[in-house]
Amino acid sequence: MAMDRIISLQMSALLRKEMLETWRDRRALWMAICFSLLIPVMLAGTMVIVVKKQTEESTRLVLLGGDVAPLLEQRLRSDSLEVEALAEGEPRALLAGGYDLVLQLEEGFVDRYESFRAPKMYLYVDSSSTSAGRAERHLQERLGKLQQLVVSQRLTARGVAPQLLAPWQLQVRDVSTPSSRGALLLAMVPGLLILTLFVASLATSVDTSAGERERLSLEALLMQPVPGWQLVAAKMLAVASMGWLGSLLAIAALVALMPVMPLAELGIQQATTASGVITMGLLLLPLALLVAVVQILLALRSSSFKDAQTQLSILQIAPVMLLMVLDAARVDLADSYWQLVPLVAQQQWLKSLLVGDSVSLPLLLAGSMVCLLLVALSVAFGARALRRESLLGAT
Amino acid sequence: MVWMRRLLLGAVLSVGPGLPGLVAAQDELASRACHLDGWSDALRCFRVAVGADDSELAVMVAPAVNDSEREPLYLLAGGPGQAASDLAPLLNAFRKINRERDIVMVDRRGAGLSGAFRCGFEREMPADLQQFSRRLADCYLQRPDFAESLSSRQTVEDLERVRMFLGHGRIALWGGSWGTRTALLYQQWYPESLSALVLDAVAPIDTKVFLTATAAERALQQLERDCARDPVCARFGDWKGQLAKMLNGWSAEQAASFPDPLTGGPVTEPLARWVLANAIRGALYDPVAAAQIPYAVHQAGRGNYLPLSGITGLFQNHADSMAMGLTFSVACAEELNRIGADEVAADSEGSFLGSAFFDLFRSGCEAWPVSSKPYAAPAPREHPVLLISGSADPITPPYYAEQQLGYLSHRQHLVVAGGGHINSRRGCIPELISRFLEMPGEPLEQACVADIHRPPFMADAFGPALGVSAVSVERGDQL
Amino acid sequence: MIAVESINKQFAGRRVLDHLSFTVPDGQITALLGANGAGKTTCLRIITGLLRADAGRVRLGGVDVARDPMAARRQLGVVGDREGLYERLTVAEYLTMFARVQGLCGKELDRALQSVREELELDELWQRRTRGFSQGERMKVSLARALVHRPRHLILDEPTRGLDVLAARLLRRTLLRLRQQGTTILFSSHVMSEVSELSDRVLVMAGGRIVGGGSPAELLAHTGCDNLEDAFVTLAYGAAVGKRTEEEPA
Repeated sequence: MAMDRIISLQMSALLRKEMLETWRDRRALWMAICFSLLIPVMLAGTMVIVVKKQTEESTRLVLLGGDVAPLLEQRLRSDSLEVEALAEGEPRALLAGGYDLVLQLEEGFVDRYESFRAPKMYLYVDSSSTSAGRAERHLQERLGKLQQLVVSQRLTARGVAPQLLAPWQLQVRDVSTPSSRGALLLAMVPGLLILTLFVASLATSVDTSAGERERLSLEALLMQPVPGWQLVAAKMLAVASMGWLGSLLAIAALVALMPVMPLAELGIQQATTASGVITMGLLLLPLALLVAVVQILLALRSSSFKDAQTQLSILQIAPVMLLMVLDAARVDLADSYWQLVPLVAQQQWLKSLLVGDSVSLPLLLAGSMVCLLLVALSVAFGARALRRESLLGAT
Repeated sequence: MVWMRRLLLGAVLSVGPGLPGLVAAQDELASRACHLDGWSDALRCFRVAVGADDSELAVMVAPAVNDSEREPLYLLAGGPGQAASDLAPLLNAFRKINRERDIVMVDRRGAGLSGAFRCGFEREMPADLQQFSRRLADCYLQRPDFAESLSSRQTVEDLERVRMFLGHGRIALWGGSWGTRTALLYQQWYPESLSALVLDAVAPIDTKVFLTATAAERALQQLERDCARDPVCARFGDWKGQLAKMLNGWSAEQAASFPDPLTGGPVTEPLARWVLANAIRGALYDPVAAAQIPYAVHQAGRGNYLPLSGITGLFQNHADSMAMGLTFSVACAEELNRIGADEVAADSEGSFLGSAFFDLFRSGCEAWPVSSKPYAAPAPREHPVLLISGSADPITPPYYAEQQLGYLSHRQHLVVAGGGHINSRRGCIPELISRFLEMPGEPLEQACVADIHRPPFMADAFGPALGVSAVSVERGDQL
Repeated sequence: MIAVESINKQFAGRRVLDHLSFTVPDGQITALLGANGAGKTTCLRIITGLLRADAGRVRLGGVDVARDPMAARRQLGVVGDREGLYERLTVAEYLTMFARVQGLCGKELDRALQSVREELELDELWQRRTRGFSQGERMKVSLARALVHRPRHLILDEPTRGLDVLAARLLRRTLLRLRQQGTTILFSSHVMSEVSELSDRVLVMAGGRIVGGGSPAELLAHTGCDNLEDAFVTLAYGAAVGKRTEEEPA
């Protein structure tokens, strides 16, 4: 009993020290906060801009030789397509002069049209321009409709039911759900949340390990009558608190910004629920611990503060890249085995919860247990590392 | 490892959005994912038991992208006899509405997926009225009680039951064509359950919409006026006169040699005059088809029936969407029963259609002896109502909505110039509907309705004339 | 008593400690002298348990440091060579943390803090964060940390380095007082005046072993020198060097 009390006393004293040091480190704190907010803000901003571009920007089209085909001009015009008919002009100059597309009608266009000689239209487009794709889409949409109308009238004129042109009807049955569509678009978000975790705890983990060693205060700590695992655990908890709160902040910001994001326009359900958000926060906790302890171990291994920073910078990018590669390679991460792999598991769970899907509780618990087991192993490993003589830059 | 995997998979339990006890009421209802033609996203389908027998209603819900607790919109189909499930293509236009609101389609009893009462008229209607009546009579005799039970009253009550089943509070209704009648009756009988009405191609409770000859004639006259103002179409001269002449002098020889739009050869069954007249009437439903009538008639006057045949071909697919048994049960009990012979005569007087449309129903109703189910006079209602009409609609013209809905104190009317039957998908109308549902009390800014034009007239075998100014056409439209 | 029994230590094949043996008797101040690289710091680190000896053992008040490091550390206070403080903690927080890690709590903790605060004149510094402290202030805090749990053994690695006169005086006074209270003190130093003023015994290390030991007077007698510095140089660097320095004043 007495021993237990001493251990918990010691532990709480160590934890208090680490927490005070961590949370009084203004620079690390600001870095964590800024990065945590950066990603949701950027995400929301990009989404708003992209959707605004898609829906609001209109295409400016010049119909060269269009003065002879007013119906064409009238039928092409729409909310998203501004049409200007010009008798003549130089396509390149017009494209350079702010128009998105130039549609040039062949000489004698109307005559050839009326005598069924399929007159040519030349579409001038600058495919290196960012708006080219959108502009072409706008034009195709309108031109396609007009073409359909002409074809339909031509068929009618010959007594042919237009359905003869459609030997069958293709009915598309999209089995995606709003949440799975959301998953496609929000696929990056879990990775970014996990990146936030890494970045938010980076400065602190370097400071508490390599930094403490470099400031020569580690030695005094090592000479105290506490087992090494307690030292590592206290440091880990302090670092994880920073990383975890960073990612919680990111989640909160993300959820808070969701109403601003034009998700519905993209057909995505805004399905993140309060319990989903809480689950997201909780499931990141074991990962925060693991990230913290691994960062501390690496930083302790490194030869200097600078070296630690470099190593950890690589460490924080590597897993996120890995996740994205796995995702891009369409590895079936939803498989239950994968959900036992830290990082991948959290990514999958976050993904599901973000779009309002459910997560299997046993898998969540099992995956978190695996993560915590690794945490325990790492702490034990860290305790051993603290006994290593080279740690002190031995004399 | 297999056992372990089973263990994990077997113990799946939902957390996150669906923590136990937090599950929304709707999720407990047995629904399955399903699809309807014309809309690619998955819907949630329910079967709702109604009535004493084993009748079940097919209920299809297009769930809102965002669950924002706004009133759902129920779509009521026309006919009577059309199924709401056939309205799924409308969801494309109502995408924005669907972001915040569930859109619910209920196939009424005897329609679509709720046990369609088709009487075997799956493909085409026989051109011979007697034969048609005989087949209807056979059908009626097989299920007389069922035929008697189908009515607007039943549909409205079923709808109310579905509303409660889905746990909805007040609901908004979109009715199209005959669906507007159902919606108006729902408003009479369940005013407390209703928030707002959107009625496209309005069939007011007191309007005898099966008297269509005058309306069709007016639509044709409007087409004639618009055509005369169009330099291309004006060249066809008195095509309307030619049409009248052709219909009046329709011979057995013409009927037999009429080309079949599907096979290219002569029709297998002679094309009766009443069928041809109805085909013209049918073409007036859709301005795209209507724009081809002057040229087609002009050609027919010169002995070329191909374009006319092409127009009849435009509607070949439509027959099987109507459940004939249901159509006659409702039409005979609620419409035909209140129409007198003198009214038919007055309506047909001087019209190209004559009684060609009405005769079909009159002879059908003789074989379909359901009891009369009259409506009470409509009581005043204050729900916001958005009315939508096409100025050249051959069956529910705008003046029906203007003249017969005085009892609705909060109504506004969008009239699409040159528009046909059902305009909810055209131009800015979906946007206006969406805005109306957001703020039903506010008057809508209607200016954009004037931007909806008639499609270009067919000029010649090459289609529309690209090369002649179409400005005059637009002017004509706006009158 | 600190008993170092025949310890060996190698770093990367280089022998740093070579069958090093000595004892530090209770209640006395023992100075450990040695040239740079003689193995002093390594030796002290082995005593504090930071490093492990390749062979031999160290006993601290009867406890084998390698076998039971926790028990050994509880009766040991250490002031390291150039040690750092936690700059984001106040002195009070800093000392509280170490006191609690040493197992103090409640009244006992308060008493312990109060007594180091008084002994080391920490009143002014007590609520300040340690960032920007002078060398002297740092030494006081480090010493307070080493003493807060009243260890029976105190080890100091070059404690007076970089201290101003006042701070060095406070340190000396404190050490003398501690000796009176019966604390066993071992310190390494290069400052001979300090060594001769403080130490009851002096140990001289060279090449990883003790090359001379005894009271300052004994050392002088043994080497035949008339001051401690010469005695040290003679012992640590060999007779030749000692002689030469001896001749220099002439």
